[in-house]
Amino acid sequence: MNARRVQAIARKEYYHLIRDFRSLYLAFIIPMLLILLFGYALSLDVEHIPTAVVDYDRTPESRDFIRRLDATVYFDVAAHPPSAAALTDLLDRNRVILGIVIPPGWSADLKAGRKSALQLVIDGSDPNTAGNTRAFITAFIAQANERSLLDTLNRQGREPIRPPVEGRIRVWFNEDLESRNFIVPGIIAVIIMIVGALLTSMVIAREYENGTMETLRALPVRAGEFFLGKAIPYFFITLVDVLVAILMGQLLFGVVMKASFWLMILASGVYILVALSIGLLISVKTKSQLVANQLAVLVTYLPSLLLSDFVFPQQNMPVPLKVVSKLVPATYYVDILNGLYLRDLSFLQLWPSFLMLVMMAALLSALNIRALRKEGL
Amino acid sequence: MPLDDDAVVVTDLGKRFGRFTAVDRISFSVRTGEIFGFLGPNGAGKSTTIRMLCGIISPTSGTGRVAGFDLFTESERIKQTIGYMSQKFSLYPDLTPFENIRFYLGIYDVPAEQWPERIEWVFGVTRLSAVRDRLTRELPPGWRQRLALGCALLHRPRLLFLDEPTSGVDPITRRHFWDFIRRLTAEGVTVFVTTHYMDEARHCGRVVMINAGRIVASGPPAEIVAHVLPDRPDADLGDAFVALMKREAS
Repeated sequence: MNARRVQAIARKEYYHLIRDFRSLYLAFIIPMLLILLFGYALSLDVEHIPTAVVDYDRTPESRDFIRRLDATVYFDVAAHPPSAAALTDLLDRNRVILGIVIPPGWSADLKAGRKSALQLVIDGSDPNTAGNTRAFITAFIAQANERSLLDTLNRQGREPIRPPVEGRIRVWFNEDLESRNFIVPGIIAVIIMIVGALLTSMVIAREYENGTMETLRALPVRAGEFFLGKAIPYFFITLVDVLVAILMGQLLFGVVMKASFWLMILASGVYILVALSIGLLISVKTKSQLVANQLAVLVTYLPSLLLSDFVFPQQNMPVPLKVVSKLVPATYYVDILNGLYLRDLSFLQLWPSFLMLVMMAALLSALNIRALRKEGL
Repeated sequence: MPLDDDAVVVTDLGKRFGRFTAVDRISFSVRTGEIFGFLGPNGAGKSTTIRMLCGIISPTSGTGRVAGFDLFTESERIKQTIGYMSQKFSLYPDLTPFENIRFYLGIYDVPAEQWPERIEWVFGVTRLSAVRDRLTRELPPGWRQRLALGCALLHRPRLLFLDEPTSGVDPITRRHFWDFIRRLTAEGVTVFVTTHYMDEARHCGRVVMINAGRIVASGPPAEIVAHVLPDRPDADLGDAFVALMKREAS
């Protein structure tokens, strides 16, 4: 390994990069767009559920119920249809997700101590939203029941009774249950993989297409020097992307990293190496920029997004998919980032994922060097 | 008998690609300081031979030493020592001549303190100082060829391989090119050149003519012509080659 040769290749690669508009666009604009897109659009939080209430009762009590419902962050009472049929129409046309029918005589039944039923209709086409809606409305009604019970006991002058079992829930690690807090680390993993692999997928294929590979074969360049020289400029570019992503996460979405910044940089460095190695390997194998580009997207973007435990939990996957997900580098990086962003874990707790990433980087580098030797370097 | 200080010595050198024999057990030597021509029609095995000699591909048979290094085990040392330029030899079009030169200086591991002097020298001999910061792709082909030759000489090689260096180049540039090559040999550089232009053989001290992977004639051009066509004093190397082909066919 000769440092001057590595430097010569890295410098040449840097010139290619700064003179290629597409590469610069890919390196800096795409990551920012992805962060904005994912950060704003991919919210898994369920709030402001559009709700319609048909009030057949028309009493102060029923109006109070509706007012309280609207005052929560979870429900927006968006419509007051005159009849159950009109409510059906709103649900059909996807205007509301929750429909409530307050029957006539509802408050009279309540006062008389009779059982009084509310009809609740939930649009179940999106099971995640429907499940959340059900949980929120159930909790809301339980709260209302408790309030009216206490009122009744109070009016009768009796001691308030306490419920026998009371669950006291504390949420750890992501106290506000904000999905953004785990989306931002996930986006970083996807962006690095796609930018790192896409940028490098072109760089060796370009040497073939320009005929400069034949030149390089005649020069005293070793495979390792070539690989390292090619990777260095892209390593730093991608590292800048990581910093931009951390900064945007903090400034735009208020997602603050809890654990060590340097541990984050270390994990990112290894993960970047994995991404670059994948791109370079695709590039040397395909020898065509177009094919390499397509393949890089296919191999990196979708698995990182879908199988990394970022969007879809791995615990719910069927076994074969679970096995595949263990081969996706983003799985380990997302694990580390969640540990660092949400749990304030230390290296002692995260080392297995670090080890996996290091092993992947080493294996992919070795495969690259072998492929380059076969190509005559 | 090959001399110990011959720049290139090969014996029974062969290269097969699967069942196709590109080069069939050829033997020759190149003396230090001469211009050695490697002649033959397209597809005769010229490029395969020069690529073996430069350590780009490894031979499938025979033995050989280039600049004192073994063809089979020391290809990396050969690449460091020799200069190589080919018609296919591409510079980076999106880099300037200056940046291309700096790339080669780094790749050939030239000590940093010698860089300013080498850069100066190469711009001098290639007469490209005026365009040092233009992109290489904007230069005319002849200028790019000069730059490629300059880059191949940056590490001051004592042995220079040129693969079809003049194909696709206008006659004036070709004359300049051969003048420059002669000046190099005057300084003691050995030049190995392949070409399919038979008339260019007059610049060579000795030539080897190959066809279909085999040597059909070798020696100084005038001797080959005299030997093959003794009764035709006006014949040139091209005539001799055609005559040889006819005899082989009959």
